[in-house]
Amino acid sequence: MATDPRLARLDPRRTATPTAPPPPPPPAQSDHKPLGGYDGVEDGDGIDTSRNEEGGFKLRFCTVCASNQNRSMEAHLRLSLASYPVLSFGTGSLVRLPGPSITQPNVYPFNTTSYSTMYQELSQKDPRLYRANGILSMLERNLSVKWGPERWQDWPIGKPRLDQQREDKGSKGAEGGVVDVVITCEERCWDAVVDNLLERGSPLNRPVHIINVDIKDNHEEALVGGKGILDLADSLNQAANEERRSGNGNGFDERVPELLAEWQERWPQLPALWTLGWF
Amino acid sequence: MALSVPDQLAQLEAARQIVLADAGLYPQIVQGILPIVGANARLELRIWGAEFLAETFASPAFASYQKENSAVGILQTLKDLLEKAGEDAAVVKGAVQTAASIYGLVFRYIIANPHDVPVWNQMASIKSNILKRWDTAATGVRICCIKFVQKVVQVQTPGVIADPRVRDIPTAPSVERSTDAAPQRPDQNEVSIALVPRDHPLIPPPRLEPEASGLLDRLLNVFNEDVSDAVLINATLNCLGTLLRTRQSIANKIISAVLNFNPMKQANSPMTPKVRVQIKSMERTTRALLMNVLRRNESGPFADRIKAYVDRLTRIRLEVFDEGSRKRGLPNEPTDGLDNNKRRRLGAELPERPDPEPLPPGPVSLGRLFTLTKDPALATFDVTSLTLDIMVRIIPPVLVRIDQQALDQALNHVRARILSLTKPPPQALGDDEEDYEPDFEPSEDREQIINKADALPAEDSLPSPSDVTLGPFKLPQPPPLTAEDTIQIGKGTISRVFSMMNVLEEAPSAKKQRPGLNRLAGSGYDKEAWTTVVTRLATRASAGLDDDGGGDEDSKAVATNQAAGSSLSNGIREMLWSFIMEDFRSRIPVAIAWLNEEWYNDRLQERGSGRQDGRAARPKPQQHYEKWMLKVLDGIMPYLDAKDKHLIRFLSEIPEVNANVLGRVKGLARDPERVQMAVNSLYYLILMKPPARDIAIDALEDLWRNYDDAKAPTAKHLAKWRPQVLASESKPSPAPASNGLQHPEDSKPPPSSAPSPAVKAEGEQMKNKQVGQAVAAAG
Repeated sequence: MATDPRLARLDPRRTATPTAPPPPPPPAQSDHKPLGGYDGVEDGDGIDTSRNEEGGFKLRFCTVCASNQNRSMEAHLRLSLASYPVLSFGTGSLVRLPGPSITQPNVYPFNTTSYSTMYQELSQKDPRLYRANGILSMLERNLSVKWGPERWQDWPIGKPRLDQQREDKGSKGAEGGVVDVVITCEERCWDAVVDNLLERGSPLNRPVHIINVDIKDNHEEALVGGKGILDLADSLNQAANEERRSGNGNGFDERVPELLAEWQERWPQLPALWTLGWF
Repeated sequence: MALSVPDQLAQLEAARQIVLADAGLYPQIVQGILPIVGANARLELRIWGAEFLAETFASPAFASYQKENSAVGILQTLKDLLEKAGEDAAVVKGAVQTAASIYGLVFRYIIANPHDVPVWNQMASIKSNILKRWDTAATGVRICCIKFVQKVVQVQTPGVIADPRVRDIPTAPSVERSTDAAPQRPDQNEVSIALVPRDHPLIPPPRLEPEASGLLDRLLNVFNEDVSDAVLINATLNCLGTLLRTRQSIANKIISAVLNFNPMKQANSPMTPKVRVQIKSMERTTRALLMNVLRRNESGPFADRIKAYVDRLTRIRLEVFDEGSRKRGLPNEPTDGLDNNKRRRLGAELPERPDPEPLPPGPVSLGRLFTLTKDPALATFDVTSLTLDIMVRIIPPVLVRIDQQALDQALNHVRARILSLTKPPPQALGDDEEDYEPDFEPSEDREQIINKADALPAEDSLPSPSDVTLGPFKLPQPPPLTAEDTIQIGKGTISRVFSMMNVLEEAPSAKKQRPGLNRLAGSGYDKEAWTTVVTRLATRASAGLDDDGGGDEDSKAVATNQAAGSSLSNGIREMLWSFIMEDFRSRIPVAIAWLNEEWYNDRLQERGSGRQDGRAARPKPQQHYEKWMLKVLDGIMPYLDAKDKHLIRFLSEIPEVNANVLGRVKGLARDPERVQMAVNSLYYLILMKPPARDIAIDALEDLWRNYDDAKAPTAKHLAKWRPQVLASESKPSPAPASNGLQHPEDSKPPPSSAPSPAVKAEGEQMKNKQVGQAVAAAG
C-alpha cells in the first residue's frame, strides 16, 4: 500500500480538481447517454440497454499508448461514453508532450502529475503554441476523463481501484482492477505489455486479450482510432453477451480472432495484432 | 431464498464493494457468500460467485496468510460447482481460475498439516476434474485448464528455496502479489515441492514430481498438434514465461518445445483474415516469449538458437505476409508441388545452391559478395579464427572432393553479382531533363523527412558502382608552397623535434651501451639522436644554400636564397639557444654538441670554398661558431654560481677557445665571489687545453695586473707558468680595471691552429661590458 505511487495523487487531486482552469468540454461533463451517437456509432445505445437487462454484461477494457495522453485517452473517453468499464495507461518511461521544438519535449513523470497541472504549466509557458498544436485541448479532454497519466508497468493489477480513481470516467465496473481486454495503440506498446505480463509471472491466473490497434500519434488519427476501438469493443462485447446468454459453453475467447479479423476488414487502415495473455 | 435474484445480485455486489474497499474483511465475506452461490443456487448467482471467487483469490490485496485459510474453506464449494453435471461454462471458467490460484495455497497448507486428508482429497478431486475437462471443454475453459496445469507444474517442480533464516517469517498483510510472484521476495518462500519433506504422507515428492513432468509434456503437446488453435497456443506461450524463469530444471525442455514449434504452419492453408490474425499472433507471441527469455539471459545456452529462430521467424513472416499482400493475384498452389513454406515444414530441403540469396540493396562488403550460403551461422563464421595448420589440413581433402558443377555454379553466381554491381544505377531522369528544376515543395513535414532520412543508409555507405572496378588513382599535385609557408612548416617540424627531446628528457641512461667508435649518430630514437638531428639540421641543412651564390646567378635571387636559407637555420639556432637557456645546467651537453657541429661545419664550408679556386668572386662563407658560442656563454654567465663547474666543463669541451671567450671569463673576476671560478677555469684550460694555454696565461696575467681581488689566486698559478710577471711586480699598473676587456693582449692571435678570432663589432663589445658591469653591480 505504502508503495503505491498513485497514493501521491490523493492530496493534489483534491486541490487540483476545483482549480482546474477550463471548464471541461460539455460531452465529458454531461451524461453519456445522449452522447452515445456523438461519434456516429449507433450501436452504443443498444448496448446501453443490454447493460440494464438481467445479466447484462460488459467487458472491461484497458487502453494503452505511450504517454497515456492522446490515443489511449481518446479511446478511454470513447469507451467510457459507451459506458464500458475502462482504464488507461502509458508504457513509456515518462510522459512526453511536444514542446517548442522536436528536441525540447515537455516531460513529466507518470502517476504523480495530473493533467490539470500540465494544463496550467503549459498554458503559462506559451498559450498560443500549445493552443495551436492542440495540446491544451487534449489536456482539457483528458482532465475531464481522469486525474492523470498512469504507467502500465506500475499498475498493481488486481488491486482494487482507490476511491479517488472511482471518479474517473469508465471506472464503474473496473473497481476490481482487472480487465478482460487490453487495447494498445502501437506495436511498441503491445510488445511492452506482453513482455511486462511475462515479467510479472501471471500470478492472478486471469486470462486477458491483448489487442493492438495501430494508430498514428496525432489528433486526427486518434479520433479515427478511437472510433475503431469503440467498434471493436462493441463487437467483442456483443459476442461475449451472446456467448453468455447461450449458457452452453463460453466461446467468447475462441471467437476473438475471428471477431478481430472481421473488424480488420472494416478498418483496414488500423492494422491489428492480438494475443491471449495472463494477468 | 426470499429475495429475488436481481436483489440478491445487488446485495452480493454490495458485499463485493465492501471487500474491495477493505481487504481485511475478505475471510468473513467469502465465508458468508459461499452458501448463497453454491452448487444449488441459481445460475446467475453461481456465475457471479465463480467470478467473485476467481477475483478474490487473485487479488493481491487479500493477504496470503488469510487467503490460505479461506482457500481451504472454499474447496468443497468449488468441488461441487465443478462436479455439477452440465455446469455453465462461465461458472467452470471462474472455478478453474480459482483453483489455479488456490492450488499453491492448499499445497502450502498440506505441507504444514500433513494429516489433513480430507482437504487434500478435495483438492485432488478438483485437480482430476479439471484435468479431465482439459481436452474436451470449450476453448474458454481450456485456456483456464492450461493455466491451472501450469500452476500445478510450477508447484510440483522443485523451486529455489530462499535462505532458511528468513523462511518462516509470516507474510505481511501488505503483500501485493500472490504467492507465485514470490521469487523476487526473499521474505516469502515460493510454494514448491522443494519445501515438502521426502516422507510426507499425502504429497510424497517422488510421486508428484513425475506427475508434474507428465503434465508438462501434455502442456507442451499443444505445439505438436497438426492444427494450431491460436487461442490455446497463445495461452500456453504466455503462461510458460513464469515456468521458464522460476524452474530452471524444466526450462530446457520448454524452450526446446517452443523452438520446435512453427507458428507459420497454417500459412499454406487459404489465407483467410482469421488465419492471418492467428498466424500473426502466434508468431508475435512466440517471439515475445523468446525475447523475454533472451533478455533475461543474454548468454544462456539457448541464446544462439533463439536468435536464429527469431531471425527465421522474421524472414518467414515477411515472405508470408508481404508477398501475400503484394502479389495477391498469384495462385496459392505451388507450381512444383513443393512451395517454400511446405518444403520448410516437411524438412524437404533442396540444395541451397541453385537459389543463393540476392544481395541486399545498399553497400556490399567483399565478404558478403562471395557469401553464397543462406545459413546465418555459417555466413558469420570467421575463417581467420582457424589456425594455419588446420587450414592446411582441411583444404586439400576439400579440393579433392569438390563438385566441379557446384564450383562452376558458385563462380557464376558471384560473377553475376559482380556484374549487377558494376552496372550503373538506373538513371531516373534523362539528360535533357536535368536542367529542369521545379520548385520543390516537400509534401511531408520536417519530422517525417527527418525520420525518413534516419532510415536511409549512411551517406558514406551509399552504393557506388565503381567500387569494384577501381583503376589506378593519382593524387593531384599539391599547390606550390610559398617561402613563408616553407619557413612556417619548417619551424613546425623543428618544434616537433624539440618536443620530442623534451618528452625523452628522462630517458634511462643507466644501461646505455657505449659502442665507442662504432656509434652511429642519430641511430637510436632517443634524446641524443634527436639532438644530433636538430643540431645538424641547424648547422648543415642549409649550409650549401647559404653560399650557393655563384657568379652566374642573378644576385637578387642569391640574396633571397640566402635570406630564406639562413633564416631557417638561424631560426633553428635561435630555438636551440633558447632550448639550452631554459635549463642550461642539464643541457650543457646539447650546447657542446651543437657548438662542435657548428665549428665542424665552419671548417667544412671553409674548405669547400677554399677548394674552388677557379671562382674568384666567391664570398667567404659565413662563420657561425664563434657568434653562437659567445651567445651561449653570455647567456649562461649571469646565472653561474661561485661553485659552478659548468663553466669549466663548457670551456674545456667546446672545440675552440679564443681571446673573446677569455675576455668574458675575465669579466667574471669583477664579481669578488666569482673570481675563484674565473681563475680556476683559466687554470683548467692551461693544464688541459694546450692550444689555448698561451692565451689563457695571458688572461691570467691580465687578471693579476688589473683585478685586485684576483691577485692572490692568480699569483700562485703565474708563479708556475709565468714567473717573470711576478718579478716585474714593482712596475706600475698599466690600465685601470674597467679597461680590462680592452687589454692589448686580447687581440694577439692565439697560437693554436684555430683561425684568427672574428673581428668583433664595437657595439657588441660594449654590450658585453654592460652585462659584465650589471653582474658586478648585482654581486
